[in-house]
Order: sequence, then structure tokens, then C-alpha cells
Amino acid sequence: MMKKLLEDFKYLLHVITHPFDGFYEVRFRGKKNVYLGAIILILYGLLAIIKYQYTGFIMNNNPMFRMNSITTFLFGIFPFILFCISNWSVTAIFEGSGKFSDIFTVVTYALFPKLVLDAVIVILSNVVTKEEATILSAISAFGAVYFAFLVFAGLCVAHEYTAATNIVMIIATFVAAIIIIFLAILYITLIQKVVSFAVTFGSEFMKRW
Amino acid sequence: MKKRILSLCLLILLCFTFATAYAEHTNDSSYIYDFWGSANESLNAFELSKVISGQIEGGTEENVIQSVDDVYYHNGRLYIADAVANKVFVLDDDYKLIREIKIIRDAEGKIVVNDDNKQAILSAPEGVYANDQYIYICDTGNNRIFLLNPETYALEMEVDKPENMVGSTEFVPSKIAVDNAGRMFVVVKSSTEGIIELNTDGSFSRYFGVNSPKVSLVDVFWKSIATDEQKKQMAKTYAPAFVNVQTDSDGFVYAVTTDTASEEMVFRFNAKGENVLRKFGYSEQLGDLPSGPEDTSKSTFADVAVSDYGVYALLDTLRNRVFLYNFDGNLLTVFGGKGDIEGTFNTPTSICWHGNNLIVGDSKLASAFVFTTTDFGALVLDAEEKYFNGDFNAASALNEKIVSMNANYDHAYVSIGKNYLMRDEYKRAMEYFKLGNDKTYYSTAFGGYRNLLIQKYFPIFAIVFLAFVVWVLWTEFAYHKKQKQLEEL
Repeated sequence: MMKKLLEDFKYLLHVITHPFDGFYEVRFRGKKNVYLGAIILILYGLLAIIKYQYTGFIMNNNPMFRMNSITTFLFGIFPFILFCISNWSVTAIFEGSGKFSDIFTVVTYALFPKLVLDAVIVILSNVVTKEEATILSAISAFGAVYFAFLVFAGLCVAHEYTAATNIVMIIATFVAAIIIIFLAILYITLIQKVVSFAVTFGSEFMKRW
Repeated sequence: MKKRILSLCLLILLCFTFATAYAEHTNDSSYIYDFWGSANESLNAFELSKVISGQIEGGTEENVIQSVDDVYYHNGRLYIADAVANKVFVLDDDYKLIREIKIIRDAEGKIVVNDDNKQAILSAPEGVYANDQYIYICDTGNNRIFLLNPETYALEMEVDKPENMVGSTEFVPSKIAVDNAGRMFVVVKSSTEGIIELNTDGSFSRYFGVNSPKVSLVDVFWKSIATDEQKKQMAKTYAPAFVNVQTDSDGFVYAVTTDTASEEMVFRFNAKGENVLRKFGYSEQLGDLPSGPEDTSKSTFADVAVSDYGVYALLDTLRNRVFLYNFDGNLLTVFGGKGDIEGTFNTPTSICWHGNNLIVGDSKLASAFVFTTTDFGALVLDAEEKYFNGDFNAASALNEKIVSMNANYDHAYVSIGKNYLMRDEYKRAMEYFKLGNDKTYYSTAFGGYRNLLIQKYFPIFAIVFLAFVVWVLWTEFAYHKKQKQLEEL
């Protein structure tokens, strides 16, 4: 298990430098490792907490007295999971051949360079002045763009889509994500109403018994 | 037993002794906005010390204040304009009446008579200003300005609507301020063309100051597709009017507006009429911030008072508070409020400095309230004055005292930090900038600190760098060697 993980990690380094080739191997030649993906995602969540607290003073605009590690962690990884779910739900309808685990590995593998760059930025942000901070922001932006490129390439391969279809699907994914959030909020509100009704009913019942 | 009762009584008495030694006459708490825009508790810097109302001390039954529409202090004289009693009261430093001005007399003591055979009597004077040369009174009801001699109170000059005045603004002077060169800046109520600038001889010079209204994108869109006929029916967007004006010792003109449609509420105009208000505080000079303790509506300012060392007070008419800012735009303190108890206002109209005291005029309550500094406030103003005049070490020492009284006073930390920065004590400067949440100055201090570190550990950096270079060269060398070997094979 551990050995496999290490081996796949080594292959991950190949994947992020040769995305089309690499993701093909991951998707079709058994180089997929969901555990590795999960570890990267959890590390990314942890990095979000570290980023909140340990980014250097000059670049850090987070109110420390309002810090909540659990919400920071959840909000750090939530967008990616949401993206996976909504992409899967869209592509499952439109002849995407990727399974959920394929999408998940693509997104999390693609997150790896961003993870490394962000970690480096957190460290470097403690030794830069305000003028040099723009360089770090540029690096961070590069990480985000590279992540987007890797996800795009990975999804193309995983779903066996052409580039044009893939762009349409990614736009559809964002629409689906908004719908999912809307439904989730609706669901939570309704459940809250039901629960509060039950609680009121129960307390009333007990008082009048 | 008796002893016990006595000691118990003493204990109870002790409990009721107020621990607020810094502000003896006030139990209000003040607040201040920090870097995050949240209101933190702060010490009171001003407390009410005297109320001037009703029959003025040293006057007769006739010298009764019926409304306070403007207050101005200059050189031992406090001027109070009363638009209801149609008078201007002149008070001395102890707030005792020196004279009341109602009828204007000339140098021989005769009542001035106008061309149409009417005596020159003040009618609803709303503004008053004074410098070493003249007392300026806006006779709002009669659309004219009187310039009186400050010693004899005799008429020196009368300014009516200038012949060469252009524009659609009616000449109804409401407030007036005069700069060092004697140019008069006259505010006319609801004038959309700006402040009227008059030359020393009373002739019209120009409209001064630009006040741009907020324009929403939606309006722009509808205007762009409307026909000319439709445009005629649409409500026009006018430039918001100024309500008050003041000059500072450097010749800059401060102006405020109560119009919430205005993009900015406070102005500091240079000679070209551009707003050059310094905004280096944690937030802009908005009075209460939207994240403030109460509702989110924008503060509107009725008057501004500028001190010799750049500290200016803004009088808010929405929540009746006074906001004190320093030259850079840092909020110093807030006091006042809406209400009927001491230290609050009903309809505040005007504010002025009297030394380090602030005098606030209230028209409905027909009173002028004198606020003196508390120990804390005195320190704050002293520190600002020292800082403004370049005595940074003294300012820093005072600021140290201030933060020991009030740890929420973030701007003082920055001020101390700046002093350390100037003395190249980067490490301490960084500490204070961090406390005061000033990232720009922290960055400067950190840059200096980092340079020192690099100088100190230069050998290590050099060795690491050299090692890196050697390593790169070595790998290149090894690679080529290998390639060569491969080629030879």
C-alpha cells in the first residue's frame, strides 16, 4: 500500500509535467490512485488553515480573532468536491466516459502544483516587503492558471472529449454547481422547518399532557 | 460592631467611587474604528464643561440667545451668530459678554443707513468669521456681508451681490471663511455651482470647488437610450451643495456637505479647487462606518473646525456626533450624540476650536456647548501638535503614555513605530506597526531589518550562493562528460 502510494506519487510528478500523456496513463493504464488524491486534497485543506494564520503580516489580511480552522478547512476543500460532483453529474448525461473516481483523481492531481506553490508562497511571504509581494501574487496566479490547465487537460482525457465539448461541459459544470448549492440551501431550510415543527409540536404536546 | 458598620459603609462608598480618573465629568464611553472597521471601546477625549445659553453672563435681560447658528473663535473673542434674535454676540475667553451686534454703526457711532433709507440691521445672520483685520458677518436675510472693525465694531465694508457675478446662484450668503490673503469663500445654501470666491474688495472672482454627484450605472443606461423629449422629463442630477466652509492656516479651504448623494462628504481644496484631503487612516473620513455600532446610513456633516496643527473636527448631523481626525486622516476620537442629556445635541449647527476646547453650537437648544479635553484628550491633542510640528521624539513619548491608557488606540502605535523607524530601530518599529496594523510602514521597516540581517550574515549567504553556482557548474560538467563518453562508445 505504502509502496504503491510512493510509486504513484512519483508518477504524479510525471503527470503534472506531461498532462495529456500522464492523465491517459492514469485513466486507462491503472495508474490511478484515489488515496493519493484524497491525501493531496486533505493537505490542501490543511494548507488553507496554515495560509490563514502563517502568511506573513504584509500579505495577510485575515482577522486572526475570527479564525476558525474547521470552517477554513471545509471551505478550502469544498469547491473542489463540489466541482467533482457537478462535473460528474453533467458528464454522466452527456456521454462523458469518466467515472467519479477519474474526475476526482484529475482534480486532485491537478491541485498538486498549486499546493506546492502555495506552500512556498506562505513561507516566502514572511520574508518579502510590500513591493515584492506582487511577485508572490503573480506566482500564486500562475499556480491557479496551471491548475485550470491541468484540470482541462485531465478532463479532456478522462471523458474522451474534444476541447470544444470540454469547454461547454465545464461551463455546464459551473451552472450545475450553482443549482446544487441552491438545492442544498433549499433542502437545509426545509429540513430546519420540519425539525422546528417537530420540536414545537413535541414541547407543546408535553406541556399539555 | 460600630466599627464594622463604619467599615461596611466605607466599603460601599469605595464601590461607588468612579475609577475613570481620565475623564472626571463624563460617564460616556467613546469608541474608535480599527483596521477591520469594527468599533472598539476608547476613552473619552472631551467632556462637557460649560453651556452658554439663555441670558449670557455679563449681559442684561436683553442679551438672550435664541438660537446658535454659527460659532467662531478668533484671538480672545468668541462670536455667536443668532439667526432668530438677529444678533451676533461677542464673548471673551471666559464666555462673558463683551458686546452684541444687531445694528451696524459706522466709525462715528452713527447707524448706517442704506441707499433706500433703511437702517442696517442684521436679519437672520447665519455665519460669522473673524481675523485680525475684520469681523465678517453673513447677513443672510438681507443678502449681504458686513465687514466690521474687530476693535470698534464699526462698519468697514459692506459686500452686496457683486456686479460681475455670473451663474444662476442667488447671492444669499450663509457661511463665510477667509484665507490669509483676504479672499472670501462664501457658501450659499443649495448652490449647485460651488463656493463663491470673492476678492478682497468684494468683487466676484469665481466659483470654487467641485463636488461630483454619485451617478448609478442604471441611470447612465436609461439616459443613453432616452430620447431628447424623455430626457427633459427626467430628474436632473445636480452637483451636491456645500453647507459649510472653513480655512486652515496653510490657506487650504475645508468644506463639508450634508447631501448624501455626494460622492465625498469632506473636502480640503487647494488653490485650484481640487480635493486634496489626506486619506491615510484605517478608513476614509466618513464619520461612522457602515459596519458601525448602529445603522448603516452615511454620516452627513454640517460644519468643520480646523486647528492650527491640522486636527479637524467634523460635526455629524445624522447621529449628532463629533468626529476628530488628524492631518493624515486618522480618527482620533468621537463624542456627542443625539439626545436631551448633557453632552448630547439636538440640532447641531456649528463647531469651532477655542484653544484645545471645542465649542459646538445647537440651534434648537439655543446653546453653545463648551467641551474641554480630558487628560487623555489633552495627551492626544498634544501628541498630534508635537507630531505636526516635527517634534517626533516628544510625540512618541506622549503616544507611549496614550497607549498605556488606552490599548485600543491603534493609530498611536503607528505613530510610535514611525519614530523608531526614523531612528532606524527597525525591530521595535516592526513591533509597533504590527500592533497598529500598518502594513505599508511595516513593509518599510521590515525591508530595513532584512537588509541589516543580510549584511550581518553575508558570508553565509555568499557561501550558499557560491555552493549553488558550483553545483550547477558541476552538474553541467558531469552531464557533458557523460555525453562525451556515450558518443565515444
